[in-house]
Amino acid sequence: MLQTKNLTKNFKGLCAVNNLNLSIDEGEIVGIIGPNGAGKTTTFDLITGFLQPTYGNILFEGKDITGRKPHRIARNGIIRTFQLDRIFHDFTVFQNIVAASNLVARIGLWEAVWNTSTYSRKAKNTWDHAEKIIQFIGLDDKKNEIARNLSHGHQKLLGIAVALAANPKLLLLDEPLAGMNPLEVTRALETIGQIRRRGIAILLIEHNMRAVMSICDRMVVLNFGTEIAEGAPEELKQNEEVIQAYLGAEENAA
Amino acid sequence: MKLGKNLSCALLLIFLFVVPIFIKSEYHLHVLILCAINIILASSLRAISTVGQLSLGHAGFMSIGAYTSGILVMKLGLSPYVGLLLGGLAAMVLAAVIAYPITRVRTVYFAMLTLFLGEVIRLVITEGREITGGTSGLLNIHPLEPISILGLHIDFATRLPNYYFVLIFMLIVLLFLYRVDRSYIGITFKAIAQDESLSASTGINVARFKAVMFCIGCLIAGLTGGFYAHYVSVLTPDSFGLFTSIYILIYVVVGGTKRFAGAIIGAFILTLIPEMFRTLKEYQPFIFAAVLFLVVFLLPRGIVDLPEQIKIMLRKT
Repeated sequence: MLQTKNLTKNFKGLCAVNNLNLSIDEGEIVGIIGPNGAGKTTTFDLITGFLQPTYGNILFEGKDITGRKPHRIARNGIIRTFQLDRIFHDFTVFQNIVAASNLVARIGLWEAVWNTSTYSRKAKNTWDHAEKIIQFIGLDDKKNEIARNLSHGHQKLLGIAVALAANPKLLLLDEPLAGMNPLEVTRALETIGQIRRRGIAILLIEHNMRAVMSICDRMVVLNFGTEIAEGAPEELKQNEEVIQAYLGAEENAA
Repeated sequence: MKLGKNLSCALLLIFLFVVPIFIKSEYHLHVLILCAINIILASSLRAISTVGQLSLGHAGFMSIGAYTSGILVMKLGLSPYVGLLLGGLAAMVLAAVIAYPITRVRTVYFAMLTLFLGEVIRLVITEGREITGGTSGLLNIHPLEPISILGLHIDFATRLPNYYFVLIFMLIVLLFLYRVDRSYIGITFKAIAQDESLSASTGINVARFKAVMFCIGCLIAGLTGGFYAHYVSVLTPDSFGLFTSIYILIYVVVGGTKRFAGAIIGAFILTLIPEMFRTLKEYQPFIFAAVLFLVVFLLPRGIVDLPEQIKIMLRKT
């Protein structure tokens, strides 16, 4: 579904991502792990067009999407979330989803101004779509609350819902579990599992080891922008290099 | 609730159409016309700002419309109505040309670029003496041509027909902008203003929406300029300087940026205040500054927020 070929990004001599060859198949959940500064988020920025690669290509469903603008890539079906709680803070939960549903809505300026019958139909479609997303993510009771007043866990869920509203084929989640309490983590993992069951492939950056290991089909380990290992979670647990670069370091710290 | 809102809108409309008949003073009508002009300018500036960009060159775009229309009518003998439309179009075309680079920068940088653009326009007008009359101004611009509708002969030499003309124009503009604001597109605009990256990540073409809204705002400013030219019949570059742009911005801020009515109320009140204290004309910037300070400190969400603040205060006591 998605392939990166020799994807490379240099920042003034610093190699943030180096010769990365990622691939994700339909319906897969792939985790990207690695210490801070390993180039995980940069990889996301490259795939979604927020950064242009120095070298290399990105293929999605056979098409070369390298260098396209973020909104064009989103229209192809790759939707990302951001670290922290990037949501529309001044909007209600419902408005958040509605604003993010523009690829479903497809409403033009003139339609909206003249209030044509096509507009009413499209608007109703959009509202229905938003309702479904809110129900799916389980925020029905918070529908009319202003996003900034939500708890951190709910804001994180809303962030995922905002991405889902854009009808992704491939969803890129950047630390979806960060800062969540164990209860919220369990709930978010369930949600991610349900998203996968809808046939959406997921690429996931996460530091919560136990959680990623439990949910991912495959994992990719990055260190200093380079892929150092790839495989099923169980295999990686045995991999010396990985343990040294990441798992080991964490154990020592703990 | 909805019925009450519609009813009060209808009453306000009737009031706006009937009240000038009882105003005998030409001067008072002139003030009302200025109010309408400023309301249109402030609302179009607010429209641009809903996408998160703050233009400090709005008066510049108004002057493009004014001078284009004035010059075309005087030098080429076009009908003022055609001139007015072409003036609006000229402002929009300029906006469209510079939209590509200018909408790529944000917040303070956008404000700076539009500020310089407005000043460049003013300087070009000042220096282009042969065509624009330079600092001495473009004089004796023809008023709008008399028209006959339904056997009614309307001559724009007096103030009253001009009032109705600008009133109808204002209502069309406000209705249009209100529809945009309240529709699905309005939500998209506000999303862009809050977080451009997040908007782009959900497939919104941020640059295009910003450019479109900038063009629409400048089109409205240009059309208003065209009307202004034929109404006052004298144009000088200094009427469209940085201060004018800042005044338009102050109308919006004082009224309140978040609500649609904010720009309207702000422009209305701040046009009336200096006219009420006509003897203090020199101190107009001070009066504006004082009002701005008071509003920013006491009513950060603008004058539109006053009823709600009063409600909160009443609930406390």
